[in-house]
Parts: sequence; structure tokens; C-alpha cells
Amino acid sequence: MIFMSYFDQKEPPRREARLNACIACGGTLDKMANRKMSCCLPDGERAFSQNSICLLLPALGMMNSIPNSVVLMHGAIGCGSSSHGGNAGVRAGNNHRWGVVKDATWISTALSEHDVIGGGEEKLAAAIREIDERYQPVIIFVVASCVPGIIGDDIDGLAQQLQPEIKAHILPVHCEGFKTKIWATAYDAVYHAIGRVFLKEAADSGKQAEKPIVNLMNVSSMGRVDEVELERLLKALGFDVNIFPVFAQPDKMTAVTQAQLSVSTCPTHDDYLLQYLEEKYGIPYVLRHMPIGIENTGLWIRDIASHFGLQEQAEQLIAAEEQELKAALAEFKPFFAGKKAFVSAGEFRALSTAILLAELGFEVVAVRSFHHDEFADSEYEKLVKVTEKEIPLNIANCQPFEEANLLRRIKPDIFLGHMNGNATAAKSGVATHVIYNVGLQYVGYKGAYELARRLYRQLQNPQFNHKLGRWTKLPYSDSWYEQDPFKYIQQPEVGAGE
Amino acid sequence: MSNYIERPRYTCALGGAIATVEALPRTIPILHAPPGCASNTAWTQAGGCGLQVGGYCGGLSMPGTNVQEREVVFGGTERLEEQVKNSLDVMDGDLYFILTSCVTEVIGDDIGAVVSQFRSAGVEIIAAETGGFRGNSYVGYDLVLQSLWKNFIPVTGEKVKGKVNLWGVPPYYDVFWRGNLAGLRELLISLGLEVNTFFTVDDMLETIQQAGQAELNIVVSDVYGLGAAQYAHERHGIPFIQSSLPIGPSASSEFLQKVGTALQLEEQFVQLVITKANQRYYQLLDPMTDCFNDVDLQRYAAVVGDANYVIAINRFLIEDLGWLPKAVAITDALYPEQLDGLAQKIVPLPSGIQPHVFFSTNTNDIRKLIAAYWHEQQGGFGKYANPLSPAFVIGSALDRELAKDIGAAHLSVSFPVANRAVIGRGYTGFSGGLYLIEDMVSTIIIGR
Repeated sequence: MIFMSYFDQKEPPRREARLNACIACGGTLDKMANRKMSCCLPDGERAFSQNSICLLLPALGMMNSIPNSVVLMHGAIGCGSSSHGGNAGVRAGNNHRWGVVKDATWISTALSEHDVIGGGEEKLAAAIREIDERYQPVIIFVVASCVPGIIGDDIDGLAQQLQPEIKAHILPVHCEGFKTKIWATAYDAVYHAIGRVFLKEAADSGKQAEKPIVNLMNVSSMGRVDEVELERLLKALGFDVNIFPVFAQPDKMTAVTQAQLSVSTCPTHDDYLLQYLEEKYGIPYVLRHMPIGIENTGLWIRDIASHFGLQEQAEQLIAAEEQELKAALAEFKPFFAGKKAFVSAGEFRALSTAILLAELGFEVVAVRSFHHDEFADSEYEKLVKVTEKEIPLNIANCQPFEEANLLRRIKPDIFLGHMNGNATAAKSGVATHVIYNVGLQYVGYKGAYELARRLYRQLQNPQFNHKLGRWTKLPYSDSWYEQDPFKYIQQPEVGAGE
Repeated sequence: MSNYIERPRYTCALGGAIATVEALPRTIPILHAPPGCASNTAWTQAGGCGLQVGGYCGGLSMPGTNVQEREVVFGGTERLEEQVKNSLDVMDGDLYFILTSCVTEVIGDDIGAVVSQFRSAGVEIIAAETGGFRGNSYVGYDLVLQSLWKNFIPVTGEKVKGKVNLWGVPPYYDVFWRGNLAGLRELLISLGLEVNTFFTVDDMLETIQQAGQAELNIVVSDVYGLGAAQYAHERHGIPFIQSSLPIGPSASSEFLQKVGTALQLEEQFVQLVITKANQRYYQLLDPMTDCFNDVDLQRYAAVVGDANYVIAINRFLIEDLGWLPKAVAITDALYPEQLDGLAQKIVPLPSGIQPHVFFSTNTNDIRKLIAAYWHEQQGGFGKYANPLSPAFVIGSALDRELAKDIGAAHLSVSFPVANRAVIGRGYTGFSGGLYLIEDMVSTIIIGR
């Protein structure tokens, strides 16, 4: 009952400790794919680094989506201002689901120098009371950023102490950015709070559901259009779908404990909660493949179907879908054939998208993953079967200087990077396409087609980036481009000790 | 100060400092901070700054120490030293600018020692202590300016006649900063002055470094950048004048007058410049006369936003456009002693009626207060209603809900500007007034 014991603690373990996750590695795909990334050390670092992302940012992406909630940032005034960026997604997300455009509500205790010295608990308590009264939310997420983590404000103790007088559920969430380099810990942090405080005993549905219910996990890596595609596939197999946790009405969130199966679209996101749901509520889970790409979508469906003994129906569904999709893609394939693609994103997203690009006829020439953990080993093995063996592989928590160096060597035709991660390629004159944007469709068979359609559009006129590349300059010295792109990574030699 | 700020319309001192350094020519920020501070800034910009993120070395390309628990426990200066040393090799800049964060200040890292070590080796590197708890993004802007005056701009006794520095428009957190600075520079050039604006694409580090030769510093804000002006006065002996942000012909004329007086320019010359600029403004506006009057484009207005914009736009609407601002809300986090002074800058209508002034940092409160005020103001009798309609809200993207509540059209001008793309547009000066008319009226007639 290891996960239940994790949830007994105030905060989840760091992924560096729990999963040996790491962020600094560079080499080639073939040298690393079958070695369980032994070169990549959990505490590996760079002697030169660029700034990165902390777990607060993705955590806000989840929390800001929850209807009737308030996100109360306990920190200096800046922590949480990224919500200005996330708010567009919240507005669109609300609109796509309920036809109403609505902003997120985030609030800051705006800790001052005085609070840093004297402690911020009193201010936080007063803020919780006022917010409960004035906003009447169902949930108040109380989020600790770095400062409370250092000055020792106890958000958990305070939440517990105040809860009896507060109508909203108080969910303390730990997002101290200095505590982990693996920002995917964000998902654990939010899941931890929901599991520990919000999901109590298994709610009894009272009646036997007509159809099997599956939980479809979404930590905001998918927009509504992607959810619709996966719902379509799951419903075709006869399931009812409960999407959790983004945009879940708090009163419906508890339904997560009543499903017959939990389904993840990405092991980087959900392993922490799914293992807990299995231990505590006896809900089995599927957590292996990401439904991005033709082959991978089929594998994802098969895993779910076989849990219910529906292999035959799944094969029929997959065959029909693949047949139609492949016929539709025929229009694009000659155009894509042999074009070089470079991908960079969260580990699973990067790998499954790379495999999809290979399926579309692109030549995958380089891959960057934001971090590495053991869940992705199988995905590297799939990739190495469809690409050249010696293409560069870079584990990097962004670090665009390494990317700039690689881009100049590789000169791809197209670069697919995460949001806020395409500028380096764009200013290098390379056509780009965003690998993740909740307004666009990526997932399932429809997503594969839509991505192909967008790439086809993008590649017909990459002039915007070509001109940018000609007239703008990246902030790196000329000599940097002559160095080994992985020069500053502190790691043992790849293959050492093998 | 209250116990919280809802949907703050700014980020922290570090975020403001990052944005400011990003706008300096060929400058490389080096953050001594945990990993998220830079991306928090980038995402804030992506959502609030009219689609403008970063700059020459912005977003996630900024070097940084990414401090972790190890540094929190053992101190982070060694990591910073290593980071600076390698930044000099990898990054191509003419100035390196270290910015500190909450974490590295609370743990007490001595960055002064690191800076002097590199400076004595001839590296052009300076620093500012910009921990987020020091205040909001406007404080960070001021701290960067102060550091430039302390550490980058040499003190000189030789002042050059006609040379002035101008600031008070914070990069990115005034979303239209580039256009606004350019508009103000255009005004001052019309007086024959040489202007250093620090943060536009036409500024260069060489000219910024000569800022000490100016005979006058001009701050176009009642709130932002005053610390730096004070410092430059005391240390560099450069006097400063302060003006609200001049938008439109009335305020711009007064601004030119004020600068002319401070620099003792020939009065007749200044008058001539002002007259010509007004003539030009109205010559450009002239062809809109028919439609402006025929379409009935006068509006009741609510103005919501930062102190710079609220004061400036209220004045423009009243004195130039002939609109009727009935309520204004200033959203800055202010000290009680600042409130009266700012309220006095809200000019009244020619009828003598003063727009109602709210001070609030909380979007939801502003929405409720103004909507309630709007409905209270409703006159009429029986079936004859006299609401404050037609109405217009000039605010930030967060004030769209208010606009909906009071049935008003809406334009985002103050941060966050989520729903507009901004490159070179600005609202200052004479031309800026015309741009503001274009943008507001275009919003009204979009369905035409």
C-alpha cells in the first residue's frame, strides 16, 4: 500500500526520488534507447543552464480549470501570474463545455518583505475566510510557492485548523519550485491534494450503471476537441466516460471513485493517482500508451478493450478507423515523404508525436524530451524501430541553447515544440508547429489527421519563419555553435560501465 | 494593505525587472532564482502583453541558476559564479544583468561579491535585487532603472544642452510601451531635443550609458520610475519633472509646455510647435467629422486600469473626445498616502461633474462596484429610462465581464491585454490620441 502511504504525507515525494526522473542527458537514440537511460542521473545537471519551468505552472493549468473553485496562491505577488497565460484556455474550455465564457479566479496573498520576516499564516487565514465568504467557492486550492516553503508557513496545518469554519473544501497544494526540477511533479501535487482531502470514502452510486464507466484522465494536456475524439472511441466500445480532473464540477469529481477502470493518456501525468485509486478504491488502470499516432491509438484502445474482454470489437473498430484514416492521409503523404522533422516536448508527447511523424512519412531527425523516467523506455524502443539509429536525443528541461546548436547542425524542415518552445527554431528559420495547444486537435485518429492537415498547411509556406531567421538573431555567441551541444551536461560517459 | 489581491494586474518585482531587462538593447538577464520565475514571466507575457513575449534574450532563453534545495541549504553563490562564467561563453550580449529572486534573497546570497569579481575582470555586468516580495512589476522596473543609474551610467559633470532622458512607461506591463515611448520621443524631438528612451528598438547601450549627460529627466508617470528619478537627481545631479502620461492633444500640449518651461526653451517656439501639432491632429481627424457626428459616437465611459492609463485616458476622453467618463478604477497596489494625489489627477467634466474614483486591486470588486454605481445612476420616470447608455469600458481584458454587465463596448488597453496583438502601436502624444479613437470607434462599429 505504498501509494496510500504517500497520500498520508503532507506532500508527494519528488519524482527524482520516486521515479529516478532526470533532466540532463545528451547522446544518440540508439545508445540510449535500450539502456534504460543509465546515462541520465537523477541529480545530473548542467554547468550552464537556462531557466526552466517549475511545477506551479502546470499545476495552475489544472486548478484554474475547476469550476466554482478559487486558486489562492500563497506567495509573493508574482507567483501565479502565469494564470494570465492560462486564462485563455480556461475561457475557451468553459465555452467548449458549457457554452459560457468564464475567466478563472486566482488570488494571491501577495507576501511582502514584512510577511517574509513575520510569517504569512495569519494573512493566509484571513484571506481564506474572506474568500469563502465573498466568492463562495466549492473548493479553495491553497497553493504554497517557494517563500512559504522556506519561511515555514504550514499550509496543511492551517487548512486543517480552519476547515470546520469554512464552507469550501480547502485543498493545500505544494508547488515550491525549488524542491524539484521535474515539473511533472505538478500532477502529483494536485492529485495528492484531491486524493488526500477531497475524495473520501468510496461513494456508493446506489445503482448498477448500465454501461461500464471508465475514468479518462486529463491534466489539461488535451482540449475539449481531443476529449471528444477519445469519448467517441470509448463510446464505440460501449463505455460511459468520466473525464477527470480538468473542468470537472467539484460535485462530480467524486465519481472518479466509482469507475470500473481508469484510463491514462500519458504515464508522465497520471501514475501517482491511478496507483492510489487502485490501492484505495480497487479501481484498476491502464497506463502505457499515449493515443497519439496511428499505431499508438490502436494499442491504447486494445489495452482498454482487453480489460473488458472486448478484443474482437476493438480489432473491428481499429481496422475500420485505420482504413478510413489511411485513405484520407494518402493526399498528404507524397508531400511529407523524406521531410526532416525535429520534435521537442514532454517525454511521452515528444516520442509518440515522433512516431506519428514517421507514420506520416517524415524522417525524424532529432528528439528532445523535457525529462526522462522509466515509463518511457518502451516508447524509445518503438521509436528506434522507425527512425535512423544515431539521431540526436537530448533530455533537457527546455535549455534552448542546446536546441539552437542542434538545429544548426541538423537543419530540419519542420520543428514541433511545446508552447513557448518554438521561438528558437522559428528564429533559426525553421518551419514550426506547436506540439501541444489545447485549442488544437492531436489525439486519436482524428488528431492524427488534423495534425497532418496543419503540417501540410504550415509547410506550404514557411516564409514567416524563414524571414525571421534571416533578420533576427538568437542570443548565442558564434563560438557556441561550434561546441558540442551537450558540453555543459554533467554526466558520466554514455555507455560507461556497460 | 488587504489580505489578498484577486487576479493581480501585474506580476512581481522580479517579473517586472525581467521584462525591463529584456527590453534593453543586447542585454542578457541572468536570473539567480528557482526554475519557474522565468517561465512564469513568459506565460504572463503570453497571456497579458498583447502577444509579446521576451525579446533578444527572453522567455526560456534567459540563463539562470535554477536553484534547488541544495542551494537553499548551502547557499547559491558558487552556482551563480559558475553560471555567470559560462554565460559569458555561451550568450552573446553587451551587458549582463543579474536579477535575484525571493528564494536567493531569503537565503542571503551575497551577489555583490560575485558581481565585483567579474567586473574587476572587465566584464560589463551589473545586478539588481528584485526578490518578488519587494513589490509588483512596477517596483521591479524602478529597481532596474536604479541599478542602471547606480552601476552602468557614469556620473558626469558635463551636461549637454537639449539632451533629456525619458521614462515612466514600464516595458511589457505597459503593453503599448514601444509605441508609447516612440510617441513621446516624437513629441520631444519636435522641441529640438535629443531623447534617450532606453527601451525602444532605436535605443542603444552606448546612448543609454551617456544618460548622465542629460540636463533633464522626464518621468511620464505619477507612480512608476520615481525612485530612479530621485536617485539620478541626488547622485547625478539631473533634475526631473514629472507628468501624467500624455495622451491626445490637450495633455500633449501641456506636456510640451511643461518640458519647454523646465528647459527654458523660447516660449514662442514652444507655442508654435504646439499649434502646429494641434493643427496636424485636427487636419487628420477632420474627415471623420461626418460619421463621428452622424453615427452618434459619444459614449458614457468607465476607465479601469493602472494609474498611468486611467488618468491619461480619462483626461483624453473628457478634454479631447467629448465623452463622459462616469467611473474610473485604479488597480495598482498603492500606499494610502498616494490615493489623494492620484484622485486629484482625475480631471472633471466641463460640467464640473467628477467621475467617481474607485481604488481597488480586485477585479471582482471593481466589477461589482462599477456595475452597482452604473445602475444607481439610472434616471428616468415610468416607461422613460435614462440609463448611462450607450457606454464603453476602456480597461484590461479582465474587465470584459464588467462591460457585459453594463451593456458596454470594450477595449483592452491596460495590462492584461489578452485579446489584442500589439507591435508598435502606442497612445501617447497627438498621434496616439488618433490611434485610440481609431481603436475605440472600430470596436463600436465592428458589426457595421
